[in-house]
Amino acid sequence: MSEAINLGSIDDIDEGEAKVIPGDENGTGEDIAVFHAEDGNFYALNDECTHETASLADGWIEGTEVECPVHSAKFCLKSGQAMCMPATIAARTHKVVVQDGAVMLYPNCPVAAQV
Amino acid sequence: MSTTDSCPSKANPAIGRLPRPASMATNVDVSTLVDSDGGMIDRSIYTDRGIYGQEMRRVFARSWLFLAHESQFRKPGDFFTTFMGEDPVIVTMDKTKSIRAYLNSCRHRGVRLCRADAGATKMFTCTYHGWSFDLAGALQSVPNETAYPEDFDRKDWSLIDVPSLATYKGLIFGNWDPNAEPLEEALGDMRYYMDAMLDRDPEGTEVMGGVMKWELEGNWKLAAEQFATDWYHVNMSHASALMVMSPTGRGPKADIVATPGRQFVAPNGHGAGFPTHPKSRFDAGPVHEYYDYPALRERLGDAAVEGPMTTGHATVFPNFSYLPVNGSIRVWHPKGPDKIEVWAWILVDKSMPDDVKDAQRLYNLRTFGPSGIFEADDGENWSEVQAISHGFVTNSVPLNFQMGMGSEREDGVYPGQTSELYSDAAGRSFYRHWAGLMNEPAWHENTGK
Repeated sequence: MSEAINLGSIDDIDEGEAKVIPGDENGTGEDIAVFHAEDGNFYALNDECTHETASLADGWIEGTEVECPVHSAKFCLKSGQAMCMPATIAARTHKVVVQDGAVMLYPNCPVAAQV
Repeated sequence: MSTTDSCPSKANPAIGRLPRPASMATNVDVSTLVDSDGGMIDRSIYTDRGIYGQEMRRVFARSWLFLAHESQFRKPGDFFTTFMGEDPVIVTMDKTKSIRAYLNSCRHRGVRLCRADAGATKMFTCTYHGWSFDLAGALQSVPNETAYPEDFDRKDWSLIDVPSLATYKGLIFGNWDPNAEPLEEALGDMRYYMDAMLDRDPEGTEVMGGVMKWELEGNWKLAAEQFATDWYHVNMSHASALMVMSPTGRGPKADIVATPGRQFVAPNGHGAGFPTHPKSRFDAGPVHEYYDYPALRERLGDAAVEGPMTTGHATVFPNFSYLPVNGSIRVWHPKGPDKIEVWAWILVDKSMPDDVKDAQRLYNLRTFGPSGIFEADDGENWSEVQAISHGFVTNSVPLNFQMGMGSEREDGVYPGQTSELYSDAAGRSFYRHWAGLMNEPAWHENTGK
C-alpha cells in the first residue's frame, strides 16, 4: 500500500464538490479527483473520464455517482463502474479515509468493487 | 446557367408540350457549395428554395427512386400510391401482371387521380369530372365526350408513364429518365451490401403490415446522408437507447462502442456502414435464434454475415435507406426544403415462421418505428439542424465532413471502396454525386443543341 496523502480538513471540500490532486503530487502520474459525495463520504477516482478527455472533478455529483461534464457518462464513486453510455470502461478507484477530521488519500490503493 | 424544361420526352410526349420560358427554371452552379475534397458543405443546400426546385428537376427526375416492394402486388389491379420527389405516382399491377407506374394526376384538370394509400381497383376514375383510366394507363371513358373537338383522341391523354421501372430482389424502383442507366448498373457494388438484407432467404423478402408515415422538420438530405455515412452519432445520440438495448441490461458494453467496422463508399452516392464484430447484433432474440448462421455464411459469404448483415445502416442514392437488423426500409420523401415525410416498411424474410416475423415487427417498432427509441433521437437531431438554419449567419457557416479524409481504399474483403466505420467518406461521396447531377442538364431539358 502506498503512503497516504493528507488533503487537509473535511471542510476544505464542500459536499457536492471535488478536488484534483495532480499526478506529480499523488505519485501515480495521473490526476486523481477526490469527491465529497452527497452521502457525506469521500471517494476518489482517476480524474480523467475513461471515454474522452474531461475532468470528472468538474462533473456533477449526484448521490454517489459523478456525471462527466462533457458527454454525460456516469461513474459510480464507490466502485468506479461506468454506469451509462458513452463510457464503458470503469474509472480507477483510490481509497479515501477520514481520520481525525482530515481527508487521507491512498493513491494506487484500489477500492474493492462492491456493486 | 439557365435552361428550360421544355424538351418533349420521348416516352412521355405530353411533358413539355407547352414550351416554358427559360427564366422559369433557373439553375445555379453548386460547385462552390459542396467542397467534397475539403469536406465542407454550404448550409444553403438544405434551405434554399431555388436549389430545392433544381433538385426536383435534376436529382429526383433522373435518379432511380424506390417505389414499393413486390409483395405489395399480388393480383392485377392491386395498387399503391407514393411519390417520386414531389411527384405523386400510382404503382399498380396491370392485367399482364406487370408492374406499372403512372403520374397520379388526372390528364384533364390535374387532380390526384387516386387518393387512396393502397388497395385494389379495376379502373382509376377521377372523382372530379369522371375521366377514367385502365390499369395500362389508357384513357377509357370521358363523360360528355361528344362535346370535345372532332380531333380529340383519347390516346393523346393517357396517364403519364414512369418510363423506366426495374426491380432488385423485391424492391421496385422507378426513374423518369427514359434512357436511364440500368438499375443494376446504377446500384453497382451496392448490390453486395443490399444482398445481406434482401438475399438471406432463398424465398426472398416481403413487407409486413402497412406503411408507417410520419413528418419531420428537416431537409431530406440530412436523413439520407446520415444513413449513408454516419455511425459517429450512435454512441452520443443513442446513448440512452443503447443502454436500454444493452444485451445484459446491466451496463454499457465496450463491444458496442469500440466495434470495428467498415463504410462502403459508392462513387454514385450510395453508402453503407456496418460493424464487423460478430457480437454487434441487436436482433430480436427469436430472429437471432431463427438464423442458421453457417448456412448464411455459405450463401452470402463470411464477410457479408460478419459485416453488412450486422447492425448497420445504408442509403441508396438519393433517398432510399435501410437497416438490415431492424428490418426497416424507408423513403425520405422531400416536402419542400424544410420538411421530410418518412415512409417506412417492415421487411422480413419470407420463410420466417409467423412468430419470428412478429418478433421482427415488434423489434422494428421498438427501435426504428415512428416512436422507436432510436428513430426519435435521429429525427430530433435533423429537426434541430433545420430549425435554426434559416438564420443568415447560421446559414453562412459551412458544416464539417472531414472525418476519415482519404481513408477510402479497396480492402480486399468488401467490394468497392471502403472507409472506416467512423468516417464521413460516404457523405462526401453522396454530396459529390449530388453536385454532379445538379450541375448537369437532365434528360428533360432543352440544352439548346
